[in-house]
Amino acid sequence: MSVMADKLAGVWPEITLGLGACVCMALGLAKASSTRKLTSWVAGLFLLLSGVLAIAGPQPTSGLILPPQMVLYVKLAVVAVGVVLLLVAAQLPSSWRATHRAEEGIEPFDPANVMRGEFFAFFLFSLAGVMLTTTANDLVWLFLSLELVSLPTYVMVATSQDRIRAQESAVKYFFLGALAVAVFLYGFTLIYGATGFTDLSRVQSAAATTTSPLLTLGIVLAIVGISFKIAAVPMHFYTADVYQGAATPVTAFLAFVPKTAGFVAIIILLSMLPQWPTHGPIMWLLWIMAALTMTVGNVMGLLQTSVKRTLAYSSIAHSGYLLVGLLAGPALLTSGGGGSGAIGNGIAAVLFYLVAYALSTIGAFAVLGCVQVDGHEADSFDDISGLSTKHPGLAAVMLVCVLSLVGLPPLLGFIGKIYLFGSAMAHRGENPAFVWLVVVAVLNSAVSAVYYLRIIGACYFGKPSGRTEPQHCPSRRIAALVCGIAVVVMGVAGNRLVTLARESSQLAQPSQQTPAKVVSDELPTDIHGG
Amino acid sequence: MPTLLNLMIFTPLIGALLCLVAPSKQAAKSIALVVSVVTLAMSLVLAAQYDYHAGGVQFESAMMWIKGINVEYRTGMDGLSLPLIVLTTALSVLVVAASWNIEKMTKAFMALYLFLYTGMLGVFLSLDMVLFYVFFEVSLLPMYFLIGIWGGPRKEYAAIKFFLYTLAGSICLLVVMLGLYHITPNAADSGGKPIWNMMTLQSDSVHALFAKGGTYWVFAQWAFWLTLVAFLIKLPAVPFHTWLPDAHVEAPTPISMILAGVLLKMGGYAMMRITWPFFPDSARLFWVCVATLGVIAIIYGALCAMAQSDWKKLVAYSSVSHMGYVTLGLAVLTRTGFDGAYFQMIAHGITSAMMFFMVGVVYERAHHREIDRLGGIWLKWPGYGGWSLLCFFAGMGLPGLCGFIGEIMVLLGTFEAVGHGAGHTTIVYTLGVLAAFGVVLTAGYILWMFQRVYMGLPKPDYDHYEPVNTREYAIMTVLGVLALVFGIVPMIVFHATGVTFNHLFAMLAVQ
Amino acid sequence: MNDIALAHYLFTGAVLFALGMVGFVTRRNMILMFLCTEMMFQGVVVSLVGFSRLHGNDTGQTFVIFVLTIAAAEAALALGLVVLLYRRKRTLDAGAWAELNG
Repeated sequence: MSVMADKLAGVWPEITLGLGACVCMALGLAKASSTRKLTSWVAGLFLLLSGVLAIAGPQPTSGLILPPQMVLYVKLAVVAVGVVLLLVAAQLPSSWRATHRAEEGIEPFDPANVMRGEFFAFFLFSLAGVMLTTTANDLVWLFLSLELVSLPTYVMVATSQDRIRAQESAVKYFFLGALAVAVFLYGFTLIYGATGFTDLSRVQSAAATTTSPLLTLGIVLAIVGISFKIAAVPMHFYTADVYQGAATPVTAFLAFVPKTAGFVAIIILLSMLPQWPTHGPIMWLLWIMAALTMTVGNVMGLLQTSVKRTLAYSSIAHSGYLLVGLLAGPALLTSGGGGSGAIGNGIAAVLFYLVAYALSTIGAFAVLGCVQVDGHEADSFDDISGLSTKHPGLAAVMLVCVLSLVGLPPLLGFIGKIYLFGSAMAHRGENPAFVWLVVVAVLNSAVSAVYYLRIIGACYFGKPSGRTEPQHCPSRRIAALVCGIAVVVMGVAGNRLVTLARESSQLAQPSQQTPAKVVSDELPTDIHGG
Repeated sequence: MPTLLNLMIFTPLIGALLCLVAPSKQAAKSIALVVSVVTLAMSLVLAAQYDYHAGGVQFESAMMWIKGINVEYRTGMDGLSLPLIVLTTALSVLVVAASWNIEKMTKAFMALYLFLYTGMLGVFLSLDMVLFYVFFEVSLLPMYFLIGIWGGPRKEYAAIKFFLYTLAGSICLLVVMLGLYHITPNAADSGGKPIWNMMTLQSDSVHALFAKGGTYWVFAQWAFWLTLVAFLIKLPAVPFHTWLPDAHVEAPTPISMILAGVLLKMGGYAMMRITWPFFPDSARLFWVCVATLGVIAIIYGALCAMAQSDWKKLVAYSSVSHMGYVTLGLAVLTRTGFDGAYFQMIAHGITSAMMFFMVGVVYERAHHREIDRLGGIWLKWPGYGGWSLLCFFAGMGLPGLCGFIGEIMVLLGTFEAVGHGAGHTTIVYTLGVLAAFGVVLTAGYILWMFQRVYMGLPKPDYDHYEPVNTREYAIMTVLGVLALVFGIVPMIVFHATGVTFNHLFAMLAVQ
Repeated sequence: MNDIALAHYLFTGAVLFALGMVGFVTRRNMILMFLCTEMMFQGVVVSLVGFSRLHGNDTGQTFVIFVLTIAAAEAALALGLVVLLYRRKRTLDAGAWAELNG
């Protein structure tokens, strides 16, 4: 019993979310419309409860691959961003025809057509999947949790709008997803074949003693497969279509949840290696992926006429930036002696940037979701033209969020980018390729400003079209406001998040044999004044 | 006093917030005027309190901002920033006065302008590299909106172009900062932490890292060029100048004034504050290349100005040409050249603002800027014509007016560079002669323009133009008197910069 | 039985996987595309069983159970989506996706 209790200790938040999902599903079938409408509140309640459990509940004592602080950080990030996402999505089910008619009493309640409960259940399941990814200590577990993240999102995309483009994009999303799963499963198989274990800690120790090309190939295939979740080259093809086809709240969900799970999974996989890959084939794989991903994202972003597609390509580009930090690895490998500090820990940078990116992009999507044109959600640049005259508040949120995506100081995205690129620069001594990657990334940031500015330009300089009408969803406005404020305040004064991310990423070295030291831990980060 | 200095930086920001909640357009204008007058008073108090014999950084204050990466909020004033601060605050009052008849979204205009004002003061007064970068970027945004909302027909294009060019520049700067972050902890007295204090970054221990043949010599060369490009874009210098004519043509008059008068000076100031003092060995290595860039800007800008039919575009290209002297004067690494370059910035701040204002006065009435459709303005408004004469002649560099001092000192400084070594004589003479030829070209395009716009008989469609009003005369009088005063007593500027420049030049001089 | 070596398992698995991949890229019918991904899954399963035999432990075969479960879940989802789309478009050709492109 105590063994079981110990195993369960790490996953109480996930269990809570799973329970919450079941409750939501049951509530969604309630006879009274007013009871059914409680679902979103219940979902929020369980989400908060799981956050409380993550902090105050029993902590796992052993069996984690990632450091416990990092697990906690990701779980809390999932809860915090999850609440914002829930605020964005809370009124979404009411916009579906069948659900709406049933609630207004125009048609009798038919469980086959009303999907409020299912939507929030899937919402919670997917978040639980991300949390489970962080606690994974077995390849099977990792595989199952990654699937738990993705499977609900397919349904969420398909049912998110009554328009056929939602279903089409869901099919695209699903098929490419299935392909990606097969690819990373094959990678997992090869990892198992090379080491004889699926238990990750034993894979780790086996990998430390033998180097086999099979293991490298396995990790390469796994990373390529997981690139689907983070929307990176070569599995990025679905992104623009799906982001455009899904309803905006679901798009915002896709921009954060699968991406986070994917990056956590890649971090786990890379920590199987005896040394963080700063040389060799895996390093080059990630290097090429990073460079291609951001370039493809930004170049394609320039060509779009739809804001949602533009933000989709921006999402691809940001995965590229994140890969730069991922490549830089957990700690600064000091080469020239001396020089080191808080910037240099790539994993911390990735963890930080995931949240920074999520808040910025969710804010932008929330603004889009608040505007309706001809009965549809705002999508094209014309739809948001002149937003500032009609809705100055929404336009202001769009402004700060987009500028944060550009990386303009002193906003949140700027700090994130500094940490990402700075951590890659730390490796310039041992491998000049890192410097070139930073150069590529920096050039890309400059290019990306062009399409971000088009969004701002449309909001502020365009002529109001007159067809826009505000969407009645107060909580979405609140979410937009929260994102806007967070992007500014956390950028100017909030070093707390940086500290948290840094403390949480004491992934240190997967094994103790490497000469590097975790330098970043020596300098406490704190905020004074500002 | 440090409190006053910090208060000065943020007074406009408070004013901006007040403007947003102002009850009426008139109130917003009054707030902006009061704020700029108060800020001017503050800067004059600071200038009076500054100890000119001691020189160096004064009124310094520092506070830890982001401890993990050792970033501070550090501000202070020295001889390099003092004249520019006074110029900024003085121009600001005039700019608010010049924007008195802006009727479109006045509150937002004034708020954005004051926001920009804080950015400008912050750039000149911050002594921490990261803080400097933040202000440098912050000043971008209001400018983008000021051009993009209140601009002319192609305002969006101009605003985005302005933003992207400057952003590209600041990204170059960012790369250098990432490098500095990892390299400076290796300096002898850094205590293992990155150095952001711009004064420490010019100290011997940091110079040792970036010295020729030192550990980071390659980085120092790259960093020199990257920072140079960042600031040359802002300055702007050929070939990075194409945003400037577009921005000026589309921007409303007061914004053109502040753009030419102060924002361009950020580029020159940053070169003197960062590029040269941080990487002196690189500056010594590449001086010929940089000087050539300067000469190209002088000649090319003048030729372009000559070819324009749009009056405002002509003035914009004259800025490119005049800023070429700044690049040249800095590049040649002589004390005279350095002083000349700095004086040129101040002088151009006055004359270019005045030139754009003169253009604006006519544009507001004629609603076009075609030089060929104008003519005979002098006879229409003799008073305005007189001040215009003074203004454009100051821009041309007529002795006795402020434009002369900077140009002549840069030219003299260029010829002094013969002393840099035997091998350079031919190059120096070529550069010097070409730059001197630029003066002739300047005279050419200004006189030609003056003839076409002001001389001759007034056109019949002038009849319904409103007369130039008192507010406009007041603005041009102030600027005109300043142009005259700085032309006759240039020592005002050199008195302020002298001691600071002695120190600065000691590390730049060619041994 | 004994002359079936590890290489045979792995080869079969790899071929199944590769065939599935090629089929996925070239086919346009959604049912066929889905079957191709199933084939890739089966390639994975065969390889897992082969490795399990090599290492002499059951972990690989346990993994297989989970893979099959997820494959079944995906099949249910796929058929649901395909039917949904077929009802509205009356075709299973992926080329008929006209609403979204590029």
